[in-house]
Amino acid sequence: MRMQLGLSFLSLIIALLLAISNKAHAEYSAILEQEWSIDNNGNGQKFETLFEPQYTSSLSDNVEMTFIGRVRFDSFDHLGMANKNAENYSGINGPLFANNHTSFSIREWYFDTEIANSFWRIGKQQVVWGQADGLKVLDVVNPQSYREFILDDFDDSRIPLWMLNVEIPVGDDDSLQLLWIPDLSYNEYAIAGSVYQATSPLLVPILPEGFELAGFHQSKPDSVIKDSDVGLRYSKFYQGWDLTFNTLYHFLDAPVNYQVVEKNKVSIYAQYERSYLIGGTASKAFGDFTLRTEVGYSSDSFHLVDNDSANYLTKQGIHQSADVSSVIGLDFQGLTDIFISAQWFQSYLLDDGVGLVRPQHDHSFSLIYNQSFANEVWTFEGLILHGQDKGDGSIQAKLSYMLESNIKLWLGTDIFYGNKSALFGQFKETDRVNIGIEWGF
Amino acid sequence: MNSVPKPLFASRLAGIIVKYPKSTVFISLLLMIVLLSALPRLYKDTRADAFLAEDNPALVYRNKVKEQFGLSDPIVVAVINESDHGVFNPASLNLVNWLSEEVSALENINADRVTSLATENNITGSAEGMAVDPFFDEYPDTQQVADKIWRQVSDFPIYMGNLVAKNGQATLIVAELNDEALVEATYQEILALVEKAPKTLGDKIYVAGEGAIAGYLGSYIDADAQRLNPLAGLIITIIILLAFRRVSPGILSNVIIAASVLMTLSIMALNDVAFFVITNALPVILIGISVADSIHIYSHYFELQAKSPNRDKKEIIVETFEEMWRPITLTTLTTIAGFLGLYFAAYMPPFKYFGLFTAVGVAIAWLYSLVFLPASLAIIQPSASKGMTKLAQNNQVDKLSKMMMSLGKVTLGNARMVIAIFMVIIVSGIYAATFLTVNEDRIATFHPSEPIFKADTAINKFLNGTYNLDIVIEASENEGLFEPVNLQKMQALQNYALTLTNVQGATSIIDYLKQMNRSLNGGSKASYQLPQQKELIAQYFLIYSASSDPTDFEEEVDYDYRVANMRLNLNKGSYQDTKDVVLQLEAYIKENFKNSDLTAMVSGRVTVNYHWIKDLGESHFVGLGISLFLVWAVSALLFGSLSAAIFAIIPVMSSILLVYATMVILKINLGIGTSMFASVAIGLGVDFAIHTIDRLKSLYRKTNGDWNKTLADFYPSTGRALFLNYLAIALGFGVLISSKVVPLTNFGTIVVIAVTTSFLASLSLLPALIKVFKPRFISDVIPEVSTDVATNDPNSKQPVMARKWLRISSIIVAVATLGGLAITNQGHAAIIDINTLEPMAVVANINAVDDGEYVSRDLVMTLKDKRGKVRVRETKAYRKHYENEKRTILFYRKPTNVKGTSFLTFDYQDAKKDDDQWLYLPALRKVRRISASDRGDYFLGTDFTYEDMKLEGKLDVTDLDFTVLNAETLNIVDDNSYQSLLMSGTPKNTTIAKELGYSRTEFWVDTKSWLIIKAKYWDLKGKLLKTLVSRDIRLVDDIYTRHEMTMKNSKTGHQTTFSFSHVNYKTLVKDSLFSKRAMKQGK
Repeated sequence: MRMQLGLSFLSLIIALLLAISNKAHAEYSAILEQEWSIDNNGNGQKFETLFEPQYTSSLSDNVEMTFIGRVRFDSFDHLGMANKNAENYSGINGPLFANNHTSFSIREWYFDTEIANSFWRIGKQQVVWGQADGLKVLDVVNPQSYREFILDDFDDSRIPLWMLNVEIPVGDDDSLQLLWIPDLSYNEYAIAGSVYQATSPLLVPILPEGFELAGFHQSKPDSVIKDSDVGLRYSKFYQGWDLTFNTLYHFLDAPVNYQVVEKNKVSIYAQYERSYLIGGTASKAFGDFTLRTEVGYSSDSFHLVDNDSANYLTKQGIHQSADVSSVIGLDFQGLTDIFISAQWFQSYLLDDGVGLVRPQHDHSFSLIYNQSFANEVWTFEGLILHGQDKGDGSIQAKLSYMLESNIKLWLGTDIFYGNKSALFGQFKETDRVNIGIEWGF
Repeated sequence: MNSVPKPLFASRLAGIIVKYPKSTVFISLLLMIVLLSALPRLYKDTRADAFLAEDNPALVYRNKVKEQFGLSDPIVVAVINESDHGVFNPASLNLVNWLSEEVSALENINADRVTSLATENNITGSAEGMAVDPFFDEYPDTQQVADKIWRQVSDFPIYMGNLVAKNGQATLIVAELNDEALVEATYQEILALVEKAPKTLGDKIYVAGEGAIAGYLGSYIDADAQRLNPLAGLIITIIILLAFRRVSPGILSNVIIAASVLMTLSIMALNDVAFFVITNALPVILIGISVADSIHIYSHYFELQAKSPNRDKKEIIVETFEEMWRPITLTTLTTIAGFLGLYFAAYMPPFKYFGLFTAVGVAIAWLYSLVFLPASLAIIQPSASKGMTKLAQNNQVDKLSKMMMSLGKVTLGNARMVIAIFMVIIVSGIYAATFLTVNEDRIATFHPSEPIFKADTAINKFLNGTYNLDIVIEASENEGLFEPVNLQKMQALQNYALTLTNVQGATSIIDYLKQMNRSLNGGSKASYQLPQQKELIAQYFLIYSASSDPTDFEEEVDYDYRVANMRLNLNKGSYQDTKDVVLQLEAYIKENFKNSDLTAMVSGRVTVNYHWIKDLGESHFVGLGISLFLVWAVSALLFGSLSAAIFAIIPVMSSILLVYATMVILKINLGIGTSMFASVAIGLGVDFAIHTIDRLKSLYRKTNGDWNKTLADFYPSTGRALFLNYLAIALGFGVLISSKVVPLTNFGTIVVIAVTTSFLASLSLLPALIKVFKPRFISDVIPEVSTDVATNDPNSKQPVMARKWLRISSIIVAVATLGGLAITNQGHAAIIDINTLEPMAVVANINAVDDGEYVSRDLVMTLKDKRGKVRVRETKAYRKHYENEKRTILFYRKPTNVKGTSFLTFDYQDAKKDDDQWLYLPALRKVRRISASDRGDYFLGTDFTYEDMKLEGKLDVTDLDFTVLNAETLNIVDDNSYQSLLMSGTPKNTTIAKELGYSRTEFWVDTKSWLIIKAKYWDLKGKLLKTLVSRDIRLVDDIYTRHEMTMKNSKTGHQTTFSFSHVNYKTLVKDSLFSKRAMKQGK
């Protein structure tokens, strides 16, 4: 944290000096959002004020700086702000300040420049790979905050990383993207006792009956060079197809919870593991339909096994396997002002494991229905996610109204269904209704 | 004697000029030299197309057709042999081969587009299906082979008459150019080839064709101008030498001529105005006019000098200046008015510029005559010739003056008779004018003795003709021309065309299909007909392309078999010979192609010529009216009398009417060259009348109101000067009669007739009328006594004078308004005659509006609902045209909620190919591929549809059928008025209507910018759906740009205004901007 503060302070001074010495173009904008969520018991879940200022300034003819900050204030503390044990962030990431009601953070802060016909973005930023909505195959460059599980906007929940991002145009329509990510930050999970604390055995190790937790040991990669992530993406536009070929050598963003049994005690060793990801996307429009596909091969993936299986002891509760995941999505825009999108997501573990909590071949589906009315003054957005294995899922619906050009009001609901042990089902008792207002200026 | 106060300013100016003569001469020459430095920039444009404005619908459409089918005006080489075997003998065929190869090898010749017996293929049936082999498959070295080729060719109807004379005595080598701008050099190269071609006895080679005409015309006119201009200068110098017996006036006159001509041409060069064919007449006219001013100054100067040889010459110069500045300025103003009439009335750019720049030249001549000439005289101080001095001393006059006195005697003695004679001339002229024929024939520009004229005659005698008319037939869908019903319709049109006078041949895919059908059906003549099944037709083309070069049909049909060109050959090219063909074809198409999948449109050189000439007559008479009015108005203001102005224009009116009579008698048509005579005749002819009236007024004053003495004194002095003036102009224009450019010869002839008549009328009819009517504009200026009375009582005089000027001004304004209204209505009708206006030509014009290769602009979208609630979105938009697509990207800047959103589109020319579109939503941080939206869908919540956004004000001819409804003035609230065409567009079928979301549209097109200013759309039930209004149209980087567009939806009451600012067509828009990377980065 101290390191981050120092770095931020230094950068701020440099940027201010540059901005002052150069009377170039600068732009300031901000979003103020207020959302009130009420759970199915009629209790307030959050009353959150979000202030996101954005400042963009041309430091020279060829260098532009973008700064996005975030101040979050929640008059309730049910979602948990200050995670004292948050080891997921590297020294140069994470909130500048946080307590149970408030947090200040630098969301993004990067410099854009063009050098030798290639486009460089250096700094804290988000990079999104892949074509799928809501389900991740290739979109694993940035880690995610699961503070509100999957309910927060991806833009808000994705954790920006300090990285070097170079995009080199190739020919007329192709490009090569290179990523070097020395920021060793990973997924953030809801803290114990907060509303969206994970309980599903898919995510959380369940100790065998009668066993005690001996200790929780967390270790994180710490070498900025050796443990950094490296990614490469080649994008091609060929005969109307948008194609990408991606590869990422990275640490998986979720820690692997190895469970070591000694006598009747279990010690959990949370460790981050590396994996190679190779994959690609292809999408193309066919009349009113757009096909989006995405496939990824991960050399290693780690999954919990049942504590009563043979593997629990021998493999420290973890099954390791290569994984092939894919998404096929089809969007339909044939009706005026209506957008319908369906996706089929599957993940297949190349090695079957005895006692795996998840199935070897897992399927999920999603359906999006968006419709706007009266020249986009009113917009309805609906999203259903459904896991086939456990028959659970979530339904999100939102009706927005543009009061002014820059003021949006909305009313929405988030509903979970299914077995308590399932991914979505674990939150079946935390359905909520949201009312919000957003003011941009 | 002279009681009129001397013009103070003139005296002072003359004093300064005479005091500092060397400085004045130096400054005058320096000014001339500085301007002359621009002269090398002047360029020639002798193209026929140059006569039409670049945005003329017919021209725009023809250029589009030329581009689509790769057509150009070819150079045609004909080999003619009138022996028994005709050209089908080994020697002549080898000559054809030699010429084909040599012509193809020329750099500016498109070797793939050289058509001759040596390059063309025969289509025959074969074991495999169809054989496509060159006619010269076997080298034609024996008579048997030559006979075989003749049998093959004569069995191939497409080539008979087009490529080979039906009697076998002539054949063509048709060569198309790579760059039409270099035609002149290519034509000369071909002539050189012809010169060294291996001709044998009986072979004659001719070079003609529109390409050759354009190529030769440039050098032909150059040579003519180089001969004529020095000749005119020489003649004028001789006249001055003879008149004044002194060398210096001759030299000084030539300096003024040089200043006027060369400075005018330099100003043209500075304004990027080309030297057109008719600009050749400009130097000659300026020579005549500029010398006239100096002749009047010399006459007066030498007259005074002869009377008082010992008087200080500088004093004489000042007195001459004081006396002459007024009539010279008067005549200059009236001449300028005459030429500006041409400028205002002409619809062809060369004529407009001719009128404008001749006026500029006249002004320069005036300036140099009044500044440079007195200064030079002050330096040289020439004395009158001894003879002249002697005569003056003895109060005698010379022979010229005596001759003029005799004219005066006869005129004044028989005043009523003179008036009667001119009345007869005027009445006959009016009668004759009704018989005037408008005609123009480009080949007739050349003298009949010219080789190109002979070549044209010979080729049109043996073959189908060198004049082309193209009919473009368009199906609504790709491969629509495979439909037998469409082909039958085309065939019927072709057959009809062949029945029309002067149409000798026609070529289209119909002929090729028939020939292929015949070849594949055993070659019997009975099978020379169109195949009946669509599949068969498609197969024929496939088989042909498999057997030969697939580009063989590119002149006849496009790659998608949707648009075809039918080329008609006419053996005559004049307007009168071809206008009926164009009109009859247009009528046939209107009648037979309505409610059909096919549209047809007449184009080609002949059609363009028709549009070029059809309004010539009307434009001529409008120009005449404007010139007469301007001259009358200027005269009225200058003389302070409306009736004086009427008297001033009577001589020119009589001269013009006499010219009409002469033209009818001599069978001279009203064409490009001759139509501009009226303005020239008015501008020049009125000078005589102005001098006459002005002089008579001053003499009346001097003779104290003695009418007889006034008229008698007029002849020896002013009469003599006017005669010299007349001689200079008449002989100057007389030089044109010896021109080899036939229209210039005709022009010279009729201007000489007109000027002669004006001169005679000014010196006979005008004095006769004045004698008979004793008009007040001459008599009420003087009497010395009454002037004194007036000056004693200024209060009584001034209101009278004020009322008089007020009356004159108001009458001029009234006449101008009425005339203007008449001319506007008529003129507008001349330009926009909706009955003959082809909707497709208007559409072609709209679609040809330049919108820049690329553009960047700020776009603010203001969305307003029926309750008045407003939402605003600010964006930055870029667009760039690529070879096969248009790329557009839109970055949202405000409000913050949508900031960072961007929208990228690749819009492909190929209608079959869907657009590619991407949307970047900052909330997702992901560029999302989206399907090409339905055309009728609304664009991002606005009232504009995706189709509106895509077309950007253009029209899709494959979707709509168009009709011209009306020509009207469109007033846009808070904006301008536009002269517009109201058109309607109807979707071709209900599927398209559903896709577009409307069943009918009406739109108003500004005929100046060809932008759509307003449009209305009706929904599928026929109710008004939405209305588009454009405002704030102005030029940005020379491109007409709509800065505001409002689309109002009548059903929802919602409206969207697009306001554009910072529009920039100049700054390069980088390719990298149209990328997913740029979408994410927001720039």
